[in-house]
Order: sequence, then structure tokens, then C-alpha cells
Amino acid sequence: MNYILKMSLRNLARNKRRSALSAIAIAVGTALLLMMSATIRGEMRGSLELNINLRTGHLQIHAEDYKDENMSLKRADLIEAPTEISSQIEGIAQVKAASPRLNASGIVAYKNETIGVQILGIDPLSATNGPYIDGMVAGEFLTPDDREGVLIGLPLSESLNLNPGDSIDLIINTSDGDTDEQRFTIRGVYTTDTPGYDKATIFMPLEKAQTITRTENFASMIYILLYDMDDTAAVKESIHAPGYIVEDWEELNKLFLIVMQLSNAMMFFFNLMVLGVTSTVILNTLLMAVYERTREMGILGALGMKGRQIRALFLTEATLLAIGGVIIGLAIGVPLVLYFAQQGFYFGDLGISASSGMMLGNSIYPYPTVGDAISVSIAALLITILSGYYPASQASKLEPVEALHSNN
Amino acid sequence: MKLALKLAWRNLWRNRRRTLIVVMAMGMMMSFLIMYDSMILGFETAVYGNAIKLSGGNIQIRAIGYEDSYSANPMLPMGNGLDAVQAAEAQPGVSVALRHANTGGLVTNREGVFPIGIYGIEPEKEKSVNPVMQDEFLVDGRFLQADDGEVVFIGKGLADAMGIGVGDRIPVSGKNIHEEMSKRTMTVIGIYDINLASLERQVVYVSLKAAQDIYDLGDNITEVILFTEVTGKENPIVEELNASLSGYEISTWRTAIPELSSTVEMKNAVMTGFSAVILGIAAIGIFNILLMAIYERTKEIGLLGAIGLKPRQITFLFLLEGIMIGLVGAIVGTLMGYLITLVLGIFGIDYGFAVDMVDYMALMGTHIYPAFDINLTLQRAVMVAVISTLAALYPAIEASRREPADALHHV
Repeated sequence: MNYILKMSLRNLARNKRRSALSAIAIAVGTALLLMMSATIRGEMRGSLELNINLRTGHLQIHAEDYKDENMSLKRADLIEAPTEISSQIEGIAQVKAASPRLNASGIVAYKNETIGVQILGIDPLSATNGPYIDGMVAGEFLTPDDREGVLIGLPLSESLNLNPGDSIDLIINTSDGDTDEQRFTIRGVYTTDTPGYDKATIFMPLEKAQTITRTENFASMIYILLYDMDDTAAVKESIHAPGYIVEDWEELNKLFLIVMQLSNAMMFFFNLMVLGVTSTVILNTLLMAVYERTREMGILGALGMKGRQIRALFLTEATLLAIGGVIIGLAIGVPLVLYFAQQGFYFGDLGISASSGMMLGNSIYPYPTVGDAISVSIAALLITILSGYYPASQASKLEPVEALHSNN
Repeated sequence: MKLALKLAWRNLWRNRRRTLIVVMAMGMMMSFLIMYDSMILGFETAVYGNAIKLSGGNIQIRAIGYEDSYSANPMLPMGNGLDAVQAAEAQPGVSVALRHANTGGLVTNREGVFPIGIYGIEPEKEKSVNPVMQDEFLVDGRFLQADDGEVVFIGKGLADAMGIGVGDRIPVSGKNIHEEMSKRTMTVIGIYDINLASLERQVVYVSLKAAQDIYDLGDNITEVILFTEVTGKENPIVEELNASLSGYEISTWRTAIPELSSTVEMKNAVMTGFSAVILGIAAIGIFNILLMAIYERTKEIGLLGAIGLKPRQITFLFLLEGIMIGLVGAIVGTLMGYLITLVLGIFGIDYGFAVDMVDYMALMGTHIYPAFDINLTLQRAVMVAVISTLAALYPAIEASRREPADALHHV
């Protein structure tokens, strides 16, 4: 066995350029696969995190029949005395913040325009508003006792040319099935870098929202953010809210997770194409090498080497190439992926409309995982070794006498 | 020259096996590249195609002034639109052109007031293509018919929010052509459910005839929307339409839904970037194999030198061979790639096994249908031919410079 390894190492060294080029092809393929999987994973994870922080939170508590998209204000669909529940939840160690929110539908009336919007009553002091406070582009954030102030998103402010201090009329659905209209002053303009969300969401203090919608001490949900996404299940277990249900981000982002699965399924096919190209390089290079060395094979055969051993020789060459290539590939790919995981690819203004239930930020941060690196390396190794199989068995089938007479 | 061509062509086929390996390598690599490219296009259509259909189609033809208008549904009549439909449906790549009379308005009942878009449609034509008007999504009542009057077809999202069902009557106000609100009490005739409540709440459908009556449009419509076969290849169609139609504003979903457009563009930029790397891998492979094929023939080069060919001539001969093999490889690759894409395009790649999305069938398909792009493929073919030429040039120069006697002794 040892001598086969030695011979194949020598064969590789004899044709340095060819070996180097083959290894580089494998290396680039491995690095590319690594980059692709990290990018797709990062893209999905980035938008999932964005979605969780801005829209759904890690966990939500609401009434059994409540449906977010209906923005129902019926008492049966709401949570009574929400602050008590939320302060109790904030006592759990893994919880970063919890606060009640009220969701109502409304219409912005400005000049001749009517635009349908979602009105979100928030507790201005809660840490759950972090992402919105970070994203203020003009004016001030809300204060709890503000009775006339609202925050609007950047796209709405741009399309209607509205600035802090300007007034807009809001027509808001109330819990008794009526509508109420009131003039509000824009206190500030925020952006979450997600136009679809920003266009259609208006914030006002929870108390004001409760007053205008006549929902008194009720809220649509308790919105909960955690320090770490991985604690979700544990926290969900430890919440006691009889009569209400607790939903986690997986249930709240169903459509999103489906798109994620879809992308993963697609990536499988894209990865196959990359592996296909790499394996073609190896297959044809080795095949060429077999025919080029026909006479050599004849000599080896004549000296008594068995077909099986010749096959092992070629397979060993392929394996060595594969190992070398994958190692170089990891050496190139890992630092590259890590670099981009820090820097991110910037893509400008992005995001699917908020109504479709998924959002995207404006940069992709590749998210490398050890698992991906391992599966990519194994796939590249296996494909390369498999590609070596056909040329190797061709070589083993040569008749020594005929091979010796070959021109090459 | 003629002799050199003949020699090169003969050399190519003298060692059939070698040439076949090279051509096979090029063909396989090109097929993978073409499949990769065509899957990017197919991916867009699979993931975003229906979303685009749901939110205004691939291409919109409207009256001039629409873009500058302030409102989401301005009332800008554009005539009866039949000329636009005819011109659009004559374009290859356009699967259907639909006439709409759209306006914006409100529905109100005791549950509240809901801003909506009111779309006047031609029911027969719309039925075959509009994702919401497929049998599997109809939960109650029936679809619209051409001669329907004051009846509306609504989504389950709106029905739930308003607490209404088929047969109930709701007051629908919409802006008419004189910029006034026309209010009518309409009967709910049918309800669809595509499991996207927020989207379902935004639009109600009425028959084109009813919309024209109620909003005083006469024979006018407000837009013609086009569904194309492949998402992402709208620009050439828009150019053709701009040339053949005048007096309209033509836009694509890229202007109508910029955030979706940028998502798609980002995906494309990333995937195209990756495809350049794949091309690089293929280039390394082709280069490597051709290098081997020529170094293998060092002895032959020595012989050519010994019988009096000048280095320049030898280089030229090998260069010709490189070009020829590159061309053959590119042609074979294009054909292979085309055939594979064609077959996959007909049957589609089923990725349903990996995804559990029965609930969202209206939004996404379960198959990806790769779409062949001739321009991109030709680019790939040229690249393969160029790489092959370059790969031949380098060893040919090196080999031709060697002393014939040395080269002859090469083992």
C-alpha cells in the first residue's frame, strides 16, 4: 500500500503544473461552495433577525382568536391589563424586554390622498423600541404622555413631503366598529431600512392609541425580545399567561421560513452545478492522464502490477488531489467568508413589502457555520474521488502488451 | 493558409479519443454553466412570478401622466386599450394582456373603514391567469362574470376583517372620473383565499363593465397589464412596445414594486458573481486539459520542425487547432446545454420535496422551470472558445521554440 502512495505522490510531483491546476480547480470550487452557502444562510438569517426585531419579536402573547393581519379590536381578541403581564415577563432572566402593543388599521388623509396604514401603539419607554430609535432620521422619538404626536416612516415622509412639525389627519378604526378622525403632529421620521414596512407603519404612544380606539386597558399583544434567539423555547415554557397563547418566532414567521426552505432547496441545485463543473475538470484531466501514460501502465503491468493496484494508484492520485484542493480551498474560502461576514455585501435599498410577511435589510452578512464547512468539504472530496473512479478503472483494464505498443 | 487549416482539422481527428475528451470536457462544463444561468432566471419566475402577478403584472401600459401622479390609483382614462392589448399579445414572451379599469376607494361597515383598490376586470380572460381566480382558492360563491353588475369578488382577509360572507351587501365608495366619490352598495358574489390576509384586504374585483358604469368611464379603461413567460426579461418587450405604441406610459414591475425589484437584483448580482467564479473553474479545467493535449505532442512538434516548418508556422498550426477545438467544444456545449435546459424547462425541477408550503401555493410554484437565455449562452460559448485559443497559444509557442532534435527526444 505504502508504495502506491509513494508512486502517486511522485506522479503528481512529476506533472507539477497539471497537479497544481487541478488542485486549484478543486480549491476554487470548494471556496465558492463555502461562500455560496454562507451567503445564502447569512441573507436568510439577516432578514429573519430583522423580521424578528421589527415585526414579530421572539415571542408574542395574545388572545386565542387574535390574528395579527386582521387588526381586530374586539375585546375577545385582546389582552386585558397587559402591563401586569409584561412586567412579570420582564422578570425572566433571558428576556431583554417585553411590552404591550396595540395594532389598529387606519387611513392617512393628507390633501387629496388616502393611504391605508397600520397604526402601532407602543410604550415609548420600552427597550423593545430600540430598532426604531436607532433608525430616527429626523425629529424626536415619542414620549409616553404625548397626545398628538406620531412617528412616520421615511418613504411616507418622502412621498408626501412631510416633515416633523407637519400635521396629518388619521382616520382610525375603533373597537365599537366606528371610526375616529383626529389631526396629529409628526414628531419624527424613522427608517428601518425596509421600505415595505416603513411605508405602511405609523407609531403612536400606547395610551393615546388605547384612547382613540376605545380599547381602554387592553392591548393586541405582549411583544417580547430576548437576548438570545436560542433561548426561545425555554422562555416560552416559563411564561404563565392563563387564557392567552404564546407564539414563538417560528410560528410568527411561517411564510418566511418557507421561503428559507425554498432557497435552501434551490441552493442544493446550484451547488450541484458547481460540483458538476469541478468534477468535470477532474474527470477529464485524469482521463487524459490515463491515456497519456498508457505505455507507462503497460510497463507497470508487464512488471506484474495487477489491474486492481493500477486502479488504486489512480484513485490515490485523485484522493491526494482532492485533499490538497479542499485544504487550499478552505484556506482561501474561510478567511474570505470571515472577512465578508464582518464587512457584509452592501446592496442599497431593499426589502419586500411588509404585507408579504418577509423583509430584507440592505446588506448581506454571510453567516459561515462549521457544519456548512464540513459538508461542503465532504461533498467536494467525494465528488473528486468519484470522478477519479472512471479514469482509474479505464487504466486498470489496459492489456499490458497492447499498452506497451501504444504510441504514447 | 488552406494547407494549415486542413492540417489542423486533420490533426484534430487523428487522435479521436483525445479530442473527444477535450470536447466532452468543454461540453459538460458549458452545460453546467448554462443550467446554472437558466436556473437563476427560472428561480425568479418560481419565487417571484406569482407575487408579481398578484401585484400588478410584469409590464403595465397606462395613460401618460400616471408616473407623475400623486395617487396610488389615479383615474386616468386611456381609451379602450384594445390597440395596446393587440400590440402586446403580438410580442413573443408575452403570455397575456389584461384590460383593467382601476380606482381607489373605501369599504365601510360596522367593523370599520378599509381602504381598497377597486379593480374592474374582464372575468373570462382574467380567470385563466390571475392567481386569485383559480378554482382551488375559491372558498365560497362564484367567480365574476362579464355581465355582472354591482357585485364584488373579495378575499377572505377582507371578508374576515369586515365579518361578511357571500350574499352580504357592503357599501363601496370609489373615485370616479370626475374625482368625486361614487358610492354603491354591492353584493359579495364570491370569496377567495390565498392565505395572505393582508394582500387580500387591499383589493376588490368587479366586472369591467360595472366599473366603467359606476365610475363614469364610458368605454375607457385605466391600464393594460401584461404577464410575461419569464420574469426578469421584460426590458426587450418594453422597448418593442415603445416602438410600436405611442401615447402611453409603459412601466415594469421594477418601477411598480421597487423593493421586490431590488431583492431580485441583489439575488442576481450575487448569483451572477458566483457564476463568474464557476466560469473561472471551467477555464482552469479547459486550460489544463488542452495543455496536456499539446505537451503530449512535443515529439510531433519536433518532427514538424525537423521537416522544415518555422516556429511561427508551428505556432500558427497549433493555434488553429486550439481555435477549432474551441469552436467545436462551444457548439457541442451550447447544444447540450440547450437540450438539457429544454427538457428541464418542460418538466421543471420539483423542489416540493424540500418545502412544505401547501398554504402558500398561490404565491410560489412547486417547480422551477429553467429558462434558456440565448445571449448569455453565446457569451459563455465565446468565452470557451477564447479560453481554448489562449490555452493552445502558450504551449504552442513554448514547444515550437525548442530545438527540433530535443523535442524529438522528448518522452
